[in-house]
Amino acid sequence: MGKVKLKYFSRIRETIGKTSELVEIKSTNIQDLIEELQAMGEQYSVLKGRDFAVYSAVDQNIVTDVKTSIEGATEIAFFPPMTGG
Amino acid sequence: MLNKIIVSVQKSDFDLNSEMETLKLKTEKAGAVVIFVGKVRDLEDDNLKYLEIESFEELAKSQIKEICDDAANKWDLEYVLVKHRFGRLKINDNIVLVITSSKHRKKSYEASEFIMEYLKSNVPFWKKEVADKTQKWVENS
Repeated sequence: MGKVKLKYFSRIRETIGKTSELVEIKSTNIQDLIEELQAMGEQYSVLKGRDFAVYSAVDQNIVTDVKTSIEGATEIAFFPPMTGG
Repeated sequence: MLNKIIVSVQKSDFDLNSEMETLKLKTEKAGAVVIFVGKVRDLEDDNLKYLEIESFEELAKSQIKEICDDAANKWDLEYVLVKHRFGRLKINDNIVLVITSSKHRKKSYEASEFIMEYLKSNVPFWKKEVADKTQKWVENS
């Protein structure tokens, strides 16, 4: 599919150990991307959401369905439940 | 269409008096102003050293703008302002400011609560409490 900028926040950033990275990916939806990243290293298993829900935003739009297409996306962010206010 | 919507995601503090002065210049038809301030509190069972607030700034700003638009339309607001801070904050430091203004008070109160409820779990901010004994990411209760 091409190169995509991945961004990580909060607990996910801490576990993966990076705030962002540019990655060449093949996946065309969020679910497949998480599988693809997991194959790159154990630290990415945090994206499976076993300990807490994992949200994602594709080109700065929050998505709720992991089957959401990421074709043509330039930036994908992963983060845990939000705690503003 | 209301054009008095002000949204900011910022590191610096805000000043209530100057915000009120700005508001008064733009809301001559409004008789009510509700101001909500969220601030850093100490913990029940530990001593907070500081609260670290992380944000996804661009997305947070657009999410807040969207909810302010909704609130302004739903409650016919004359003015709505949200300023949310990020970075390292100490006990009693300000975190968030929500100002809503309308002709009468009921709409301002309701809109303020609506915006705050939304901010709690729909806008990309994350809080980490760093205390004497522990440090942990805050979870929504």
